[in-house]
Amino acid sequence: METLLDFARGPLFRLTFIIMILGLLRVLILDIYGAVEAYRRAGDKRLDWKNAIIKTLRWIFPFKSAFAQRPFYSALSILFHIGLILTPLFLLAHIQLWEDGIGISWWSLPHFWADFLTILTIIAGLGLITGRLASRGARALSRKQDYFWLFILLIPFITGYICANTAISPSAYQAFMLIHILAGELIFVLIPFSKIAHCVLMPISQFIITLAWKFPARVDDKIAETLKKKGMPV
Amino acid sequence: MRTIEITSEEREKAFSTVKKPEVIEKQKLDVRYHVEDYEVRDRPRRFLEAFAAILKHTNYRFALEHFVRVSAKCSRCSVQCPVYQVTGDPKDIPCYRSELLLSIYRRHFTLAGSLQGRITGKGAINDAIIEEMAESFWNCTACRRCTLECPVGIDHALITHLGRFILSEIGIAPRALVVSTREQLEGKTGNTSAIPVPALVDTLEFLEEDMEEEKGVEIKFPLDREGAEFLFTPAVSDFLMEADTLMGIAAVFTATGGSWTISTNYYDAINYGLFYSDRILERVIRKLYSESVRLKTDSILIGECGHASRSAKYYVPVHCGGENAKPVYNIMEYTYRMLQEGKLKLDPGIITEVVTYHDPCNIARQGWIVDRPREIIKTFCKNFVEMSPNREENICCGGGGGTVSIDEIRPYRTTVGGKAKADQIRATGAKYLIAPCANCKKQLRELVEDQGIDCEVVGLHDLIYKVIVFDKAHKKVTSEKEG
Ligand code: HEM
Ligand code: SF4
Repeated sequence: METLLDFARGPLFRLTFIIMILGLLRVLILDIYGAVEAYRRAGDKRLDWKNAIIKTLRWIFPFKSAFAQRPFYSALSILFHIGLILTPLFLLAHIQLWEDGIGISWWSLPHFWADFLTILTIIAGLGLITGRLASRGARALSRKQDYFWLFILLIPFITGYICANTAISPSAYQAFMLIHILAGELIFVLIPFSKIAHCVLMPISQFIITLAWKFPARVDDKIAETLKKKGMPV
Repeated sequence: MRTIEITSEEREKAFSTVKKPEVIEKQKLDVRYHVEDYEVRDRPRRFLEAFAAILKHTNYRFALEHFVRVSAKCSRCSVQCPVYQVTGDPKDIPCYRSELLLSIYRRHFTLAGSLQGRITGKGAINDAIIEEMAESFWNCTACRRCTLECPVGIDHALITHLGRFILSEIGIAPRALVVSTREQLEGKTGNTSAIPVPALVDTLEFLEEDMEEEKGVEIKFPLDREGAEFLFTPAVSDFLMEADTLMGIAAVFTATGGSWTISTNYYDAINYGLFYSDRILERVIRKLYSESVRLKTDSILIGECGHASRSAKYYVPVHCGGENAKPVYNIMEYTYRMLQEGKLKLDPGIITEVVTYHDPCNIARQGWIVDRPREIIKTFCKNFVEMSPNREENICCGGGGGTVSIDEIRPYRTTVGGKAKADQIRATGAKYLIAPCANCKKQLRELVEDQGIDCEVVGLHDLIYKVIVFDKAHKKVTSEKEG
């Protein structure tokens, strides 16, 4: 168990973390490369940058836009995201791992707030699952991965909370810790290959859709030729 | 927006079809709109070929890649879709509609998707999916409200736009649009309403006489004047159905001394390509542009029509030289400028009834022309009320995306597509509903009729015609002539 834990904490963590970073870089670069190519081909290169920036900021800080339509769902989603992003980054125990590993450290959340955020994230996550299951529309849209993500993301939070706050036997602690770490690492590996890639891609969405309506010039003939339809009537 | 209830009779009417069972059987297409006969065999393969050809030569691929990566399936867009709000059918959720095409893209055009598909043996395109797309993409009014609401930034309307384009390449597109476009690009009259030149000239002369009689001022439609500032091109149907709008525009030009002309060689700004085919879009744009080159006008001015204005404004630069292309304006921009410059006077004492304004999606959604018409209206209407939501967040008339031209789906448009709009109009209690768009006007007239709302649908320039004030100099011209 000890060795397994050490392996998970050490080499496996480094490997999965690098996979996540490289994977996210890959999709980001592919996306931006596609956009640059599209821009190069666009017949009209004037883009409404300002509008795209405003819309992007509105969704990254969705205080106004989100609440206009589905306030309850939005609140859950925002709390969930705050917890997902802040807790792992600013938890003292995590920061100590970084310090031991590569010697960097930063500000940490006080214990009470870390617990509070963890509970909040779990409640928000359960709320989102319920929301998905309860709404006919959302049910029709949901794929397996949409449920899977809400579920798997909660595992590190639940196990982490148990380890930090309950008096359990050392072997149970180790078991929970192992699940905590492995689930976290599974998440790392899957992030770049799934919809969670939105954490780096979402900020460029508005630019992509602004650009996507700028078509390349004069493609009628080319498409007709490829489809062997040249000169055919409408 | 709340979910909107319709009665079961309304529902039945909306979804009934006038198509003959044998046609549906023969075309293997259970949709409500008519389609010209096309090659039914091998549809899936030909769909993929068309998809591939389009991806190869256009810019869609990078957007699809992005959408496939980020789609979160959160269902938030459902609250914005006027169609889903009425039907309540999960298949009408914008994200569901988009997924039809995105999943084909993923399965057939990405490595991960095709590997996965081969292993699971699922998800390949088939006839049923094609039929579902043919129905779903034309249930949508292309109003682009859903795009406002997608938190990860998926443009569902772009996907529908592309889906319709691919379908049209295998022969599936509403007959009403295809037949009109054929006349416009290849027919004798060269316009979608098939109006021959003599009829056009007659109509305009008739209107000129009318205007002189009513206003005591000589108001002309200058034809084929080389070197004019504006080549004025309305939706051609205006010449048949919107005489008041045209008279209002001519009156504004006369009062302000503007330099404009209508070409008798080409006088149709309608561009159904925006609704079903980028290839058609391009051909119509080039035809319009070459007319302005031929007549050496400084710019192109589109009449009261949302889709015609948007397609010209955005795609003239795309296909005709980018930044160097001649500018394109909408008539409301001109009228507003004249008002600002003090060249146009409108009498605030004539229209006392309650007036409301409908934002056409194609000019309001992007925030292009939203405040200017309101400022024009407020100079002559005391009783102006807003519909809510409005401006960039307006609700579609229910006939957007070309569906208004498909007469056989009128019940669908006026009970499903336009139900949310009808409720909005009713709530204002307006006597005049201003809609500066040929498509919106037609749809809204049918809507108020079918929904039993007592309200007159007019163009902005229809009212301007009623309230425009000519100064003495203009009046003299006519009296001298008479004397
Ligand atoms: C700066 C980073 C991020 C931004 C701007 C962002 C934004 C969004 C947005 C706009 C949505 C769509 C719908 C909603 O509001 O629920 C969403 C959903 C989601 N995000 Fe993020 N996100 C970010 C980071 C993350 C991270 C790091 C994770 C997980 C590790 C994550 C997990 C999720 C999940 C699971 C959903 C689906 C929620 C549901 O099922 O309703 N996000 N995110
Ligand atoms: S474009 Fe309008 S009608 Fe079409 S799916 Fe989006 S909201 Fe619905």
